[in-house]
Amino acid sequence: MIQLTKTGIDGLDEILNGGIVKDSTTLISGNPGAGKSILCLQYIYNGVEMFGEKGIYLSFEENEEDLRQAAESIGFDKWSEYVDNGDIKVYDKQVLLRENDFSSSLEILLEDLEDDDYDRLVLDSLAMFQLFFEDEKEKRMYLLKLTDILRANGLTTLMTNEQGAVFPDTNIGLENYLTDGNIYLIQTPTDSGVSRYAWVAKMRKQDIETDIYPMEIDQGGIKVHQNASAFSMMNEDESPI
Amino acid sequence: MASAELLQTLGNKYSAEILDATDEPISAQDLSDELEIPIATCYRRIDELTEHDLLELHDNILSDDRRRIKVYRRNVDEVRIDFDEELTIDVEERSEVTNKLDEAWRTLSDT
Repeated sequence: MIQLTKTGIDGLDEILNGGIVKDSTTLISGNPGAGKSILCLQYIYNGVEMFGEKGIYLSFEENEEDLRQAAESIGFDKWSEYVDNGDIKVYDKQVLLRENDFSSSLEILLEDLEDDDYDRLVLDSLAMFQLFFEDEKEKRMYLLKLTDILRANGLTTLMTNEQGAVFPDTNIGLENYLTDGNIYLIQTPTDSGVSRYAWVAKMRKQDIETDIYPMEIDQGGIKVHQNASAFSMMNEDESPI
Repeated sequence: MASAELLQTLGNKYSAEILDATDEPISAQDLSDELEIPIATCYRRIDELTEHDLLELHDNILSDDRRRIKVYRRNVDEVRIDFDEELTIDVEERSEVTNKLDEAWRTLSDT
């Protein structure tokens, strides 16, 4: 029986048929502004709020204050309370990049992982983490080693991935193949603003709904709507994966 | 910056081959077998390379017959020699980040 970790995000757990496979690593891809960081904040916040699971949030992109403000702006009011009491552990860019010495932060992080205290982890972003490696071969090898380490320590992980194009039909990075799950967040401009979509393209060991679903970002975070029939952006036979 | 003595050590027969073969931790006996180096020479080279921090004692692992064996791993990715102006020898050490991940990952596979 496969154990699942619920994101607690309205609609997303349903299209995942219950949640993300426990101890797996899922890549969250999308353009800047597509909602990757919000999804990750929500995943960690819901973990504590709804499921009593502690989380680690690694951000090379933002500092702790930015994260708190982002969380509070979408209504995660207890974010700083959870950070203060240790339910959410934040490694922000100031910590991770302190004196350009990622290796000492990594050491503390690895100790935290072995503590067994935490169930959820976010890495924002994978691209920044990969800057510490020299070539493609190293990037791949150490992504695999990291996911092994996370799995062995019982962490269900989301990693964000910047996506250059609206649709990932070109330029599918190897990291998509190396991770257990792939979720794409898509935003397209419309006459009246922007339309947002979520697409679970892959989830190993799990029977998922692979349609593209509309979603919105609002107070309370992301909501995915399961009414997929209302629109179609792509013919089925054009699916790139 | 390293001294010219380091070049002497590097220049000794088998030194470069040993560094090349110690990407992953390996014992003196396995090095000797793999590279067809007499075991006494192998130990001597390991000592010299370790003295210059080019190689490091990585761990004492338990062999199949439950003996402790020392495994060595190279500590360096690149050595650059510059003859322009004055002689400089730069040793580029292996990345600490990869080292730590390797270490953590290896602990997993041991258990």
